[in-house]
Amino acid sequence: MSVLAISDVSKVFAGGTVAVERFSLNVADGELVCLLGPSGSGKSTLLRMVGGFEQPSAGVITIDGDDITRLTPDKRPTGMVFQSHALWTHMNVFKNLAFGLKLRKLPTAEIREKVEAVLELVGLAGYGNRLTHQLSGGQQQRVALARSLVLEPKILLLDEPFASLDQHLRERLREEVRDIQQRLKITTLFVTHGQDEALSMADRIVVMREGRSEQVDRPDVVYRNPQTPFVAGFIGSMNLVDGTVSNGQFSGAGLSVPLPVSDGPATLAVRPEALELVVADRGAARIHRITDFGSHGLVDLDLEDGTRIKAMVAHPDLFSQGQSVDVKPTAIAAFRDNAQIYRG
Amino acid sequence: MSEATEAEHRPLIDATGDSRRPTGLLLVGIPVLLMAWLVVWPIINAIVRTIWRPDQTGDYGLDFSSYGFFFSDGYSLANLSITLWTTGVCALFLLVICLPIALYLRFAQGPLPGFVQALAIFPMFVPSIILAYAFIRVLGPNGMVDIILNSVGLPKIRTPYLTPWGPVIGLVWDNIPLTVLILLSGLGSVANQAIEAARDVGANRLQVFWHIIMPRISNSILVALSFSILGIFSAFTLPYLLGPAAPEMMGPFMQRTFREVNDPLNAMTQAVITFGFCIAFGLFYVRSVARNQRK
Repeated sequence: MSVLAISDVSKVFAGGTVAVERFSLNVADGELVCLLGPSGSGKSTLLRMVGGFEQPSAGVITIDGDDITRLTPDKRPTGMVFQSHALWTHMNVFKNLAFGLKLRKLPTAEIREKVEAVLELVGLAGYGNRLTHQLSGGQQQRVALARSLVLEPKILLLDEPFASLDQHLRERLREEVRDIQQRLKITTLFVTHGQDEALSMADRIVVMREGRSEQVDRPDVVYRNPQTPFVAGFIGSMNLVDGTVSNGQFSGAGLSVPLPVSDGPATLAVRPEALELVVADRGAARIHRITDFGSHGLVDLDLEDGTRIKAMVAHPDLFSQGQSVDVKPTAIAAFRDNAQIYRG
Repeated sequence: MSEATEAEHRPLIDATGDSRRPTGLLLVGIPVLLMAWLVVWPIINAIVRTIWRPDQTGDYGLDFSSYGFFFSDGYSLANLSITLWTTGVCALFLLVICLPIALYLRFAQGPLPGFVQALAIFPMFVPSIILAYAFIRVLGPNGMVDIILNSVGLPKIRTPYLTPWGPVIGLVWDNIPLTVLILLSGLGSVANQAIEAARDVGANRLQVFWHIIMPRISNSILVALSFSILGIFSAFTLPYLLGPAAPEMMGPFMQRTFREVNDPLNAMTQAVITFGFCIAFGLFYVRSVARNQRK
């Protein structure tokens, strides 16, 4: 049972920069929570505070009820995997993994046994004698993961661990890491700015913005039911059109959509896959560009006032550049004052 | 680019390469020739002149008597041993003083490290003669320290001036900038995340230093010490001004043997022996560089 609780944690750097502001989060036993946000949103700072590499300016961090807020990293039951792997290049793979165990004064035979088991777990059995520079980027990242796992930490912290890898390797490794995490049932906090990573790996996603949590939910909920325009724009591709609502009808940038909310300003949010295009002589939009991805097409459209939106179509060959089309949203959300006011 | 165009360009590129070749050779040739003339030739000349000498009949042959004299003369050996002692003690002090400074400069944050760095580099801009003068005024007999101690009713210090510790203090101070800079450049190769990863697996600060930082900078330590030792072993000004009259370091000893005793042969022998020791230290440096390049 390992439960991480972050309560009202803030971090203000020298000079007054607020990196994290009154942030609270509970991570359940065996859960994988992704901290997702753009650069500067405070996600890495938060992770480093859990790992003990930054001291919170305020708030409390507990693991299984024990206050670890002021403990140094070597005294915390956490294991961190760094973005740059941070392997010790003067040691071979075995020594990298055995270092933490040796510090705990474990018998040599037990160290060997544990290291070999974890190497097996990450698919690097027999790589113990290799020097770290003899490994590929993916293998190095696996060693970094194994180095954390071998110490059996209560909380695993992953700081953008796949950022330096190519797309193909990234996809493969995130599946492997997710498998290992589920097999070991280890409570994990994962920082990423890649929404694909967050959506495919996390049990829950925390969308962060300017040091605060914008939304905490399951990946499908965050995607389908964003609570703020920022979350809507940040997760996946989203068309955001500003306009006004009058008598249950939204009007903006030449679009007119029924919206059963009170009159006033509103931001209409429509996913590209929720937009149907119908060829029309005097349509609301004109096709700017069509990109054919094989399995589907992405159509860039210019609305009346020049606002550019995107629509996903199954048959891009049915449309042509410069064509006039009408757009019909099949699912929409609407926001006012940074909060969702409608979803349907 | 079409084939015709490429063909048109090819000779032009080759011609440029050809025309650059003599310039490159000239640029390399000048320092090589100067080194051969001013360094290599005097070394060879000194070695040959100390071992290939005329006997009583005027016939030239191998003769190691000057070396025999040096290694059997108590005073010469005392001078060699004080030089080795000074070099060793200076190297030890430099390591003990400069490593913490370099570690502080590498890992400390805020404005203070900037001032510390400026202070550490400052000796580089102070000529040895000024340093010796300052040393005498501060630590010499009736110097500033004595005056301060006297003003509060304390006895005078036993001044290190004109003792073997005089050159040690001066040479250590003089060599701090170079040593700190070399160690600092070595510490630059230690990534913050490598240290954080060690802390994360449970290493305390001392264990991080010993197991993570030291192996990464051992080469830099070797290079820094090789550089300092080379300079200290053959130092002249500071040992001459601050050191004892006897025994004396090899630098002043050579100068005195040459000028005051008017014995160029033995001065040259001392120089060759000094060169022998320096080249042994230099091999440490070459070995470290070679090892570094292999990595």
